[in-house]
Parts: sequence; C-alpha cells; structure tokens
Amino acid sequence: MSATAPDLKVPMPPPELERIPLVQNNRSFGWITDRVVAVTEGKAPLWWWAAFIPSATLMSILGAMLLYQISTGVGVWGNHHPTMWGWDIINFVWWIGIGHAGTLISAILFLLRQRWRTAVNRAAEAMTIFAVMCAGIFPAMHVGRVWYDWFLFPIPTANALWPQFRSPLMWDVFAVSTYFTVSVLFWYVGLVPDLAIMRDRAKTKIRQFLYGLFALGWTGSNRHWSNYEKAYLILAGLSTPLVLSVHSIVSLDFAVSQLPGWHTTIFPPYFVAGAVFSGFGMVLTLLIPLRTMCKLEDIITMRHIDVMCKVTLATGCIVSYAYVMEFVIAWYSGAAMERFHFMNRALGPMWWGWVMMMSCNMLVPQLFWFKKVRHNLIFVWILSILVNIGMWFERFVIVVVGLYREFLPSNWGYFKPTWVDIMTYLGTFGLFFTMFLLFMRFLPMIAISEVKGVTPQSDPHHPLAGGNGNGGKH
Amino acid sequence: MKTIPAASADQSTGRQYWRSLDQLAETPEFREYLHREFPEGASELDDPVTRRHFVKIMSASFALAGVGLGATGCRKPEEKVMPFGKASEDYVHGVPQYFATAMPTRVGAVPLIAKSNDGRPTKLEGNPLFPGGNGATDRYTQAAILNLYDPDRATTFHKAGATVSRETALGGLADLAKKFSANQGEGLALLGERKISPSRHRLHKIISEKLPKAKWYLYEAIDSNIHAVAATQAFGKGVRPLFRFDAAKAILSLDCDFIGGEDDAHNSIHGFSSGRNVEQGMNRLYAVESLFSLTGVNADHRLRTAASAVINVAAAIAKELGVDIGSVSTSGVDARWVTECAKDLKARGKEALVVAGLRQPLAVHLLAHAINAKLESIGTTVELREENISRSIGSIADLAGSLNKGEVDTLVLVGVNPVYDAPSDLNWAATQKKAKSGVVRLGYYAQDETGAVSDWHFPFAHFLESWGDALTTDGTYVPIQPLIAPLFGAINDLEFLARLGGLDVVDSLAIVRETFAGFSRGGDLAWKRFLHDGFLPGSTAKPESVRFESSALSRALAEIKSPAAASASNLEVVLHRDYSLDDGRYANNGWLQEFPDPVTKITWDNVILVSRKTARELNVKNGDIVTVTANGQSVDGAIWTQPGMADFSLGIALGYGRQKVGRVGQGVGFNAYPLRTTTSGFISTGATIKPTGKTHVIACTQDHWSMEGRPIVREANFDQYQKNHEIVETMDAAKPPVEQSLYPNPLDEAKKGALHQWGMAIDLSSCVGCGTCILACQSENNIPIVGKDQVKRGRELHWLRIDRYFSSKNRKFGLETYKPEEAQQFEEWIDDVQAVNQPMLCQHCESAPCESVCPVNATVHDHEGLNVMAYNRCVGTRYCSNNCPYKVRRFNYLDFNKRPLSALKGPLYPTPLLNRTKGEWDLLRWWKNPESGMREDDEWDLIKMVKNPDVTVRMRGVMEKCTYCTQRIEGAKIAQKVKAKDSGDVRVPDGTFTTACAQACPAGAIVFGDISDPNSRVSKLKANHRNYSVLEFLLTKPRTTYLARLRNPNPAMPDFTEAPWSSQEFDLKNHHGSHDSHDDATDAKKGAH
Repeated sequence: MSATAPDLKVPMPPPELERIPLVQNNRSFGWITDRVVAVTEGKAPLWWWAAFIPSATLMSILGAMLLYQISTGVGVWGNHHPTMWGWDIINFVWWIGIGHAGTLISAILFLLRQRWRTAVNRAAEAMTIFAVMCAGIFPAMHVGRVWYDWFLFPIPTANALWPQFRSPLMWDVFAVSTYFTVSVLFWYVGLVPDLAIMRDRAKTKIRQFLYGLFALGWTGSNRHWSNYEKAYLILAGLSTPLVLSVHSIVSLDFAVSQLPGWHTTIFPPYFVAGAVFSGFGMVLTLLIPLRTMCKLEDIITMRHIDVMCKVTLATGCIVSYAYVMEFVIAWYSGAAMERFHFMNRALGPMWWGWVMMMSCNMLVPQLFWFKKVRHNLIFVWILSILVNIGMWFERFVIVVVGLYREFLPSNWGYFKPTWVDIMTYLGTFGLFFTMFLLFMRFLPMIAISEVKGVTPQSDPHHPLAGGNGNGGKH
Repeated sequence: MKTIPAASADQSTGRQYWRSLDQLAETPEFREYLHREFPEGASELDDPVTRRHFVKIMSASFALAGVGLGATGCRKPEEKVMPFGKASEDYVHGVPQYFATAMPTRVGAVPLIAKSNDGRPTKLEGNPLFPGGNGATDRYTQAAILNLYDPDRATTFHKAGATVSRETALGGLADLAKKFSANQGEGLALLGERKISPSRHRLHKIISEKLPKAKWYLYEAIDSNIHAVAATQAFGKGVRPLFRFDAAKAILSLDCDFIGGEDDAHNSIHGFSSGRNVEQGMNRLYAVESLFSLTGVNADHRLRTAASAVINVAAAIAKELGVDIGSVSTSGVDARWVTECAKDLKARGKEALVVAGLRQPLAVHLLAHAINAKLESIGTTVELREENISRSIGSIADLAGSLNKGEVDTLVLVGVNPVYDAPSDLNWAATQKKAKSGVVRLGYYAQDETGAVSDWHFPFAHFLESWGDALTTDGTYVPIQPLIAPLFGAINDLEFLARLGGLDVVDSLAIVRETFAGFSRGGDLAWKRFLHDGFLPGSTAKPESVRFESSALSRALAEIKSPAAASASNLEVVLHRDYSLDDGRYANNGWLQEFPDPVTKITWDNVILVSRKTARELNVKNGDIVTVTANGQSVDGAIWTQPGMADFSLGIALGYGRQKVGRVGQGVGFNAYPLRTTTSGFISTGATIKPTGKTHVIACTQDHWSMEGRPIVREANFDQYQKNHEIVETMDAAKPPVEQSLYPNPLDEAKKGALHQWGMAIDLSSCVGCGTCILACQSENNIPIVGKDQVKRGRELHWLRIDRYFSSKNRKFGLETYKPEEAQQFEEWIDDVQAVNQPMLCQHCESAPCESVCPVNATVHDHEGLNVMAYNRCVGTRYCSNNCPYKVRRFNYLDFNKRPLSALKGPLYPTPLLNRTKGEWDLLRWWKNPESGMREDDEWDLIKMVKNPDVTVRMRGVMEKCTYCTQRIEGAKIAQKVKAKDSGDVRVPDGTFTTACAQACPAGAIVFGDISDPNSRVSKLKANHRNYSVLEFLLTKPRTTYLARLRNPNPAMPDFTEAPWSSQEFDLKNHHGSHDSHDDATDAKKGAH
C-alpha cells in the first residue's frame, strides 16, 4: 500500500522517568543462567576457600563450646543471679531477628508484587534458614539440662505431663519450629525449577543424581508451572503471618513477664520492625560483597541496594519511634519502677549499651535518606554492619539491662560475659557462614527462573521479547 | 567393738551336717570364711587401713547400736553389731530419732536436740525444754554438724608426722603417764582451751593432786573471760555477770556486740528481742562503737566513735550519773548525746543495763559496773553468778616464759592452736620447740598450723562423738551425749587427760557419770532423765548478792593513759571476732565461710574496714591491698569502705588467713593475729597503712547498699506508730490495682478443699539480722556451698538470704542513684547510716509470677498454698528466676554438690570430658557411677553423711528455692494422720512444727503456720497493723509477709528524727508520687465499680 499510515509518533517518556530495568545491560536468559550457575560449577575460587576455612574453624569452635557447656554446666557462661539470661537469649533473639528478612522478602513482597525481590529472595531465604538454625541453638542449649529439652514438646507420655501452655517459652517452641519448617519448605519449593536447570547442566553422575532427586522430576511443563505457582502462592500466604508471629511471640518472652522494661505492650510490633530492620541489614551485609565476588552486578543492581536501604530506613524509623515511646510511656505511666528502669537504661552503669543501641539503630539509618549514601556501596555495607551491631545491643539492653537492676536493690548486680559466651557467639557465625558458603557453592543463589521472569525480554510487550509490542523503535 | 556370736551349744548333739569338705576338716580357710561371713564388714572395724569402708558401715551399724535405748541415750557403752533382724521394736527405719545433747562453747554450752537419721546426726536444734530457751541456736551451732563430717579433720594418730595405730598412740600416752607419775608431773605443761565442763574441772583437780608439779595453762585467742575478771574485781568476789537483756528497758552498749560478736549471742538476742516486744513497750538500745556491728545495726541511737575513745564516752556517762571517774578526759565527747543518754538510763533506773564489750579494756568494764551499781540495776538486769577464777592456771605468756627458761619437758596442747593464734610477741612456733621432750597435741585438725609441728598428734573427737558435760551460762548442768561413735577413733579431752594423768577410769562416759553423781543422787533414773531432758533441773546457779567496790575502778582508771585521738596518722586497729569463723576454728567449715557477714555481706574473706573519710584521706578504695603496721608487726589486707564506721579505725576480723587447715579454709583472707601482742589486746593505736599497689577480689553478696527510697523494709518510730497505726500502710508506693482477672485463680478454688494454708510472718522489729536462719536452712535443705569465685559471680545457693540496706538522712535522689555500685564508697551519705535487715526467701505468692512462665510445669502451686518445685521436671530455662520480683530462686550452675571447691574456679572450669580425678577419667567414673562427680571418695563419703535424707540433693541445671520446709510439713501431716487414727482429726495443730529458719531464730522473728486458722500465731501476726507485703503493687499476693520494723529513739537525743531515715528517704523519693498513685488507685477503684 502506497498510502502509508501516518507515522504515529508516540512520545517517549523523559529518560529520568523511565524505570530502571531489574536486570541491567539487557542480559539474555542464557547469560543469566550461565552467570548464576557458574558460581556452583567449576573450581571454587580462592576467596571462597579463604572464607570457608575460617568459617568452618569457627563452626568447630561452636561445637567445642557447646560440648563444654553441656558437659560442665551453664555456669561456664556469664549469666548469674539476677541476670539469669545473658548472651544466650540476646543471641537467640538477634539471630531470629536476622532470619526475618528472608521470609519477608519472599512472602510479603511476593504477595505485594514487588518484582525486585526476585534477585535477592533466594539468598535471603537461605540466610533466614541458617539464621534460624543459629538462633535455635541458643534456646535449646541455654537450659540447665539439655538432655531434657524434649520436656518442652507436647509428647504424650504415661506420666500425663504436658508442657505448660501459659508459658511464652512454650509458644516460642511452636513459633520458631513452625517458622523454620515453613521457611525451609518455601525455600525448597522455590528451588525446584532451578534444581532442574542444575540437573540438566550437571556433568557428573553424582550431581545429576542429587540435583535430579531434589528437582522432583521437573520438566517445566505447563502443568508443572501451574502447580508450582499455586504452591508458591499458598506457601507465601502461609509464611506471611509467620513473619509477624515469630518475632511477636519472641517479644512475648519479655512482654508477658512483669519486669520493668519487659512488661510492655509495644513489644510485638516493635520487635517485628526491629527484626526486619536487622534482617535487611544482614542481607545488605551479605549481598554487597557477594554481587561483586560472583559478578552479579547486573542482577543484583544498585536499584536493589537502594530499595533495601529504604526498607532499612523505614523500619529503623519505626524502631526509633518505639525507643522514644518507651521512655514516654515510662514517664506518662508514673510507675516508679518503670521510670527507674528507663533512667537506668540511659544513665546506669550499662549506659554504653543504650548509647550503642540508640546511635546504631536510630542515628545510623537516618543516613539512608541521602541517595548518595544509598549508592555508595562501601558506605552502605558499613552502615548495614552497624545496624546489626545496634540490633545486638538492643537485645542486650532489653535482656541484661532489664534484669540487672530491678525491684529489690539487694539483688542488683552487674553482668559480664565469659570467654565461652563470646566464643559461642562467634561460633554461630562460623555455622552461619559455613552453611551460606556451602549453599552458594552447591545451589543457585539467585532464583534463575524468577529473575528471567522480570527481564524485559520476558515482557510480551517488550520489543526484545519478539512480541508485537509498540516499542519497536528502540 | 564387735562380738562374734558364740558357737551354738547344740552342735555336739544330734546329727552333724556340713556344708563342705572344708567345714568337715575345719580347715583354716573355712574358719576365715566363717569369720568373714558374718556379720559382714564387722571384722574390718579394727583395721585402720580400710577407714573408708569403716565410715561406710558406720552409719548403719551405729543406728542399730543406738536403738532401743530411746530416752536413755543413743549409745550403750559397748556396741554390738547386729543384723537388722534383731532391731528393737521402736526403731523404724527411715524415721529420725532425736537426742538431747549440748554443744560446748568457751563460755558454757548450747543445749541441743540433735536429729539422727539411721545413726548419723544430721541437724542440730536448740533444746526447747531448756529453761529460758526458745529452742533457738546460733550460727556456729547450726554449722557445727558440718565439722563432724569434715574430710580434712584428723583421722589418724600421728607420731613425728608419721601415722601410727591407735594402740601405739594410746600406748605412747600411757608411757607419758607413767613417766610423769614417777616424777609428780615435773616438766609437764598443759595448755588447754576454755571449757566450762565440771568433768574437765574434776579431772583437772584429780590430776593436779596426782601430778602436783604439772603446770596448767589456758589460752583462748578471743576470750570473754574479761567479763568475769572485771566483775570479780568490781564486786570483790569470784563472780561472773549474766546480762538480763529481757529485763532491761534501756541498754547502753559500750562497744559490746552482744547481738553479734560476743559469746552466747543467741541468748542475748533472745532476751533483747523479748524486751523489744512492740505490744508490750519497747526497750531502747544505745550503742557506742567504732565498727558497725550487729548491735549498732539494731541500736536506736548509735554513737560512732573510735574504739580507743569508748572509755571517754563511758567515763562521761558515768560522770553524769555521779561516778567518780578520776582524771579520765571527757573532752571531745558529744556532750548532749552523753547527757541525754545518761538521763534516760537514770530514768529507767533498775531497768537499765550498761554492758562493755570484750574488746574493751578492764577499765571500761569497771565503769559499766559502776554505772549499773549507780542505777541499782545489779540484781535486776545484771545477775552475778559464782565463778571461781582459778589462780593456779597460767596464761600463755606464763607458759612461754617457762618454755624459754627451759622448764618444760613435755608440752601438752589440748585443742588449742597457738602456732596460728598466739600473741605475736611470743613467737610461738619457735618457743614451742623448747619443750625438751616434745609437744603432744590433741586437735581436731592434724594438719593445721600447730598439728603439723607437734611430735604427737591425737585426733580430737567432735562433741557429737563423745561424752562430756558442761555448764551453760546460767550455770545449768547439761550433758553432752554422743550420737555416733568416733568416726575415726578419735578421743575427747576427758579421755585424753585421764589417760595422760594415768587415771584408772579413762572412759569419758564413766568420767561424766562420776561427775554427775556429784550433782545428783538419783542414780540411774536421774541419769536417764538427765539425758532425756538434756539438762539437770534445779542445777542453775543462784545469783550472788554482792556490793560494788569502787576501789578497783579507781585503780584501773589511774592506770589509764588516754591515747591520742585517732587520726590519719594515728590509726587505730580494732581486731574483732568474726561473725562466721569465730577465732579461726571454723575456717574449714564451708557453710560458715560462705555465710555472708551480716553487716558487710562479704563471704570468704576478711577485710580492713574503714570509713569513707578514712579511705579518702588515705587515698585507698575497696579492694586495694594495703600493709597495716601496728605494734611493730605488719599484715597485708584488702580495704573495704564500711558505712557507719568510725573515722580512722581499721576493723579487722580475726580467724582468717589460715595457712594449714584443709581444702576449704586454706589461705582464705589474711591473718590479723600478728598485729596482736600479749599486751595490746584487741585495740591498738598508732597504726599506719601503706598501699601495696595490688588489689584483691572481694566476693560480696549484696552490692547495692541503699533501698533507693523504695518501701521494701518499712520502718516507723515507736511513737509514730502509737499515734497512727496505719502508718505502715501509708507507705505503699503504689496501690495494687484492683484485681480484674479474666480467669479466677485456681488456688481460690483449691483452697476450699484444703486443710491448711501455709504462711509466714517475719517481724522485722524482732529480727536482728544474725543470720542463724541462713545456716539452719542450709543444714536442713542440703544446700551446697559454691566457693568464692562463684559467689563473686552471684551464684551462691542460699535459699534464704538477709538483705541489709543502709539509709541516711543526708540521702539525695539525684543522678547518683544510677551510678555503678563502686561509686557508693565515695558518697558522703554513708558516713552516718541506719541499717535494716530483711530475711528474704521464697514468698510463696498466691499468684506466683514464676509459675506462669515455666514451660514445663516444674514449678506449680499446691492446694495448701505452697509454691512447689518439681526438681525432676525442671530443665533450667531460668525464666522463673527472671520473672521473680524478689529474686529468691537459685540456680545450680555447675553441679555444686559434685564438684570440689577446686573445680569451681573460673574462667576455665574442668570439664568431665578431660578432667581426671585420682588418675581416673571423669567420664569413665561417671559412666560407672553417675553420682561420682569430681570429688575424691573420702571427701564424698563424708559429705554425703551430712545430708538430710528427707530433702532431695539437687543436680546441676535445676532451679531451687525455699519450700517452706515442705518435708517438715509433710512429716507433721503424716504424724497427725497416724495420731488421729479414726477420729478424723487430721488438721495439724498450730505450733506442732515449724520451718528450720523459724526454729533456729533466737529472736523468734520468723513465725510459720496455718493462716486458715485464725487463732494460729502466724494469723495473729498477719492481722497486726504492721503487717505488709513486699512489692504488694505487683499483686503477687505473697504468703510471706513482714511486720514493719519499729525504732524507739529518744526524742531528747541530738540525733533524734521524727521518722527513721529510711522512711525519710521514702518520703523524699515518693512525696509527690505517692499522692498521685494514691489518687490513681482511688480512681481505678471507682472505675471498677
């Protein structure tokens, strides 16, 4: 036809309004697969060994410390009368808090259709599982008689003795074990399509067998995808309340008691916000070096970092609000013990714990208001570590400062950790990093199939997708 | 010891059966087999090698030996080992038996009822039948049972350091007896400790007659005999004073710690507390002292003054009352204090009492007697009993003189430990060697300072192992009967002296019976009654009627040289008897070592107590090790700033720093004896200190001194209370909220079906804080010690503690509240303080916060209101302790029962995975016997024997706490059920039993009973206006409540304040707050309606 249609000039949006693509540099599907899987194939790089050997050493130290504690008694730790909980419970709450980011990213952000989550969810979920493992060690091992831990489970015995369902520690048992189970399932379900990729690319029999076994015969058929999507959605739905419940229940360990500084209704939301805050802190701490080491800058982009910084900022503000509000409530309530506790928090012999908490959790995240800060990787990385330090001190302030000076001044004491406390805590880092390093060596640390789903070329309207989109001029 | 059953007479008749060819042939092997077979173990009794085995079977065998004797005594003179089949009818296995006995002290004896479980004594209680007693005891008595089972006590006889058999040793003693019989005792010198035992006196007399040339000496490192010496001088006749605190309405203590450091304190406390009865008008106590003693803690008015200046205060008061005090200076004494105090004493007249402390020189004692005489209180508050101060007994200085002159051939030491505690100028360790034929010693520890350098060493029997007798302080004759045969074949002083004197009767029972015959003509029946009752009725000494003679006072005052006032360059050293170790004799007693000093709350140490001002001027702080130099001698010790201490006084407890004693007491604290010489007494001036630059870790069980204005211990003045009985109630900092529970408390329902509701009331007005309850609880409830390192870490296991708070009228509540505890020592308010005590134990809350947080139901409520612990169920999450607002739950962190002290020192505790005990891998030992722990067998075997079989021995990882002595409750309930038979009268009547703490309390401050019975003593106390709950606003509804403490100050005194200082602190802190919260509570109540 000679009569050509008038050239419809669709005005392009100005470049500054254009969305930054989730995968940069128009990477192809094949490139994504190759790049992600490459981390698990071939020889382990030197830096991996350099990280793995110290981690594994620390993990063995953890084993030795636990063996020492179980064989000798809780007395090897620093907790005492009146501070009957010390680093054990601090570390438990801290690790559990860290474990919150993964499920939040995978479940809540999934339900909210936050497509950027795909680049980080796999690693974050793995981090969650390992963090919950680290966390679980503490309540299990901190008791006086570890070999009777099974008393905490509702096992029907001839004695007709049941656990005490009014105790928040009992609720903890259910909350943490449920959370761990669902997190593992969710993670595993998400892994299935990628395990199939691994299976298909495997060159050795063992790899073929193992990846094949765990890929559950995935062929990528429509029916598989359809079932997969449903299962994933259901698990996301199941996980979502758990994100909120676990740390709420952990907070009830404190809130249900009657100690000044513990007995407060603000705890559940405040703990959840704190958990997400520290979880994102840890995700940033882990992913910033990883994306460089594994050359995944195109998948885990600056946009991801930026968004996570913003989440950290938001939750940091919630936490800060809670910190201030606790003081306001103590003042407003007129309860003498409550007032004393908060004054003692800030001015007592352990004032430094409070200062650490306030500066790291309240002041440090405020820097994330600045885009320059959010885009300076080294800066973000340091700040993310500070966030985790601050969150450790938050738990220190709650657990130790809440206990060492309370109702009867005759009981006032001072808490000092022992070397076993310190080595056990460091040991859990060994466990955590060992597990994480093994994970990245043997499993795809990016959800390959999901990332592909958010590339421009998988958008049917995108010119690169080969559809009849209208952006052909690009 | 054993009798092998005689062969049966039937054997020769009838058919003979034989068990084996060996029997038929009567081979030696078979005879041996028979001998070994029956009764098992009996043949090993004489064999010293298998001592361990001996100990093992001891408990069983002597249980049987004691049975069937019931009231007559626990042991026949001759024991037979019998199988259980022949046990007498009234012996019920597992049911404890009780025997009357007494614990000898240096001023008399504490009459006791001892509990025996299957032949081993396990608990000592006061004898409630004893006239004037209330069944209470003191700290030392409660802990004495542990000494019996001390693994470090002398177990064998020694000659020149080598172990010899008992026979050899007794033979050696017989040789000595022979030698001295031949020369009438020429060259024999005996040094003994003070014992008020008629048998001992009788032996002394007999032996003196037999060996007239033998010399007798007596030494007590801390000797209360000054009371008798002073009285004898003052009244011109051999008399000894007995202070009747119960009869006194105004008491002036001139550095006399009659509530704490003086001998026989439990009787004084009993008297003092009964005179302090709030309902019947309180007595008033004035204390003049340098150390902040327990007496000062309980004083209504306390004058903080240097110990060396007490004489000036005493003289000033005496002067006010018209006593001629010669030229003694009274300058520098608070004139108004003295005048008003004297006025008050005068107003009380006969009902006033002035006492001088054993630390003080003779002149102060004489001044006290002069004042008492002026007040005409001799005969009412001061009773004088006959005392024969024997002139024939020399002092240790005399003995040292003889030794130096080479007059001593054989030195015999009975019980004393002079190498450790003799005055330093005697240079005893070297002096003792001058005995030509050596030193023979009877001692409880073979390897102590003296034992280790003696040529002969005989193990001294514990008072629960041997017969004896004594006179109590009021002169009543009491028996000391054994509950167990000497564990290691030890002999007591009576037997030792009798053998040494070469007497015919050497058996201590026979000696005592002979003495008894001199007291009573009643024969066997009277003897049995004597043993049953534990005292001889009517034997109490009659008070003497004497007149005060002022000549002795004038003489003593003329000799007084007033020392220069204490200052930074002229410090005074005040050596005092320790509240736990006495003069050092209890150094190896773990319970006493771990007993927190009632005032400082320091365990496992002695310190140099200084006032804040002293510390500042000398630039030292808590924990600094300084060198104290006095009387030309120096010792190193750690500084501790003590609130209420007199300025420029250094208070140092004696009895520590034992170099040789045993596994518990070795090297604990520092030895202050070198500072004392023959002439210096307990108070020396002109001392100096020099910092060494080193520091010492001090394990204190209560770091915080102030109550911070919280109404935990509530106090009021007597007058305030009389005007307003509601005053205690107005001290609620916050009213408890109106209970609006969704669920009814299950206990409310359960109560309906229960027979009893247990509760406790503690009268803080009576409680003096002596701490006997702590040790009674420890003994009753098998509470292990944890050692200094663990105490420092806050892990002591005492179920009952005594909280001690200091209050001051100068206290401000600014930011200093939040300072670390180390800063307290620099604060000015601690200079002049009042102190309060509060026994704190499980409150058995009806809404117990611990119960709802335990995930495994290990702590639950029973229908009688007890908060019970199921140790078996406890996993040790420790949440219950965190949620307990009183923090009375204790956690067994490190298997404190199974670890010796050496395995309880951090930071690297031995683990069973690597450790070896006696060369054997602990894990293997555990596999073979899970009970083994890390203790060596000899230690373990003995330690086990002190345990109360009615109470679980808790393992590690388990929370434990006061049970209100649930074993006693159950025991009483069962006994009542048995008694009730079919009558259905199964309700335990009030007063049938009580808890261990209440039973031991000399002040009767703790009352336990059934609160559902409105007529029970505890119910009546709880109905008192002074009754309150600690932290009531938490709505825990504790079953243990407290009765507010009342003080009875004299309004005319310069230090008088309208309200006690702690109440002033409370007002200062809560003045506005209390109104607000009161209004809030009212609103809340309105809202609820």
